[in-house]
Amino acid sequence: MIRKLAIPLALCANALFATAQADQTIIGFVKIVEGEATITSAATSVAAKPGASLYLGNVLKTGKDGSLGITFKDNTVMSFGPDTEVTVDEYLYAPANGELKLVARLAKGTLHYISGVIAKLKPEAVSVKTPTGVIGVRGTRFLVKTEGE
Amino acid sequence: MMSKNASFKQTRWRALFAASLLPILNACSQSYVVLLADEDGSLGKVSVTNNQGSTVLEKNLEGADLSGSAGQVYAVSQARIQQDFGSALASSPQKPLSYYLYFEGGSTQLTPESAADVPKIIAEIKRRPVPDISVVGHTDTVGDEKLNAALSLQRAEAIATLFTETLPDTDKISIESHGEKNLLIATPDNTDEPKNRRVEVTVR
Repeated sequence: MIRKLAIPLALCANALFATAQADQTIIGFVKIVEGEATITSAATSVAAKPGASLYLGNVLKTGKDGSLGITFKDNTVMSFGPDTEVTVDEYLYAPANGELKLVARLAKGTLHYISGVIAKLKPEAVSVKTPTGVIGVRGTRFLVKTEGE
Repeated sequence: MMSKNASFKQTRWRALFAASLLPILNACSQSYVVLLADEDGSLGKVSVTNNQGSTVLEKNLEGADLSGSAGQVYAVSQARIQQDFGSALASSPQKPLSYYLYFEGGSTQLTPESAADVPKIIAEIKRRPVPDISVVGHTDTVGDEKLNAALSLQRAEAIATLFTETLPDTDKISIESHGEKNLLIATPDNTDEPKNRRVEVTVR
């Protein structure tokens, strides 16, 4: 019985380890914080501070008077106004291997976006999702406002 | 108990209130995208796709709705941009800046010109409130590909050490190496090209 359990448990532990490893890659940093802003990963939520590291899957939120500015490893720059919620769903930046992907989700609020190397090398790999539509990025700079659902 | 008159007044007031608020709500509640020219004047493109179709924005200050009818493109006023996006625009971080440092052939020795550029990069790092940098090493195509991969890493590491005093937090320096795979100037194999013997330093 114990033996039978041991294998699935070992597999689970491996899977957990792999996930934890994947999440350890820094994908960007917080540069500017005004008012209330938080970074949520898995179950924990911390106040966003200038210099804080960003990881894949992080949810960035600003409060009523909050705003936030971040830069990614590929030089993509994003900043958010008040009452905003953004999730970085996919981020791959290994230009030497041609691995490039950036998918962000704006659930609500306002976003100012300046594209980086990923959009330059592989425009089709970049998108910003909103509750009502998807934005494809073929270069440089845009603004999005979404009301959420 | 409320009199009939009072109740009527209240209902009428509510209706008036709702009617006066409706246009304002409509104007503000839109989900939309606006294309902006870059600070240097260059202009990209974005596509906007929803379940009704797809639109491409190609002009500065051109907008399109995310909900409702895709395909309709309109000009967005600076006043509206300021009202909706003033806060997001004000929080935009400084744009990243990249520098190329060049090397003597087959070595981790910077050219004299590039060595003279190092203080400029240090000054830029110090100018930023919470800086991070990436250091990416490259070689030309002279010699073996594997040896070049090793050399480009050595170059990147050598350059990174020039900034550890300014940026002591190791998390804030990322080191990459592309060997001869990512040439600045396309050349055949075994070509001595000074422009390809480089480390790219990006300050964010």
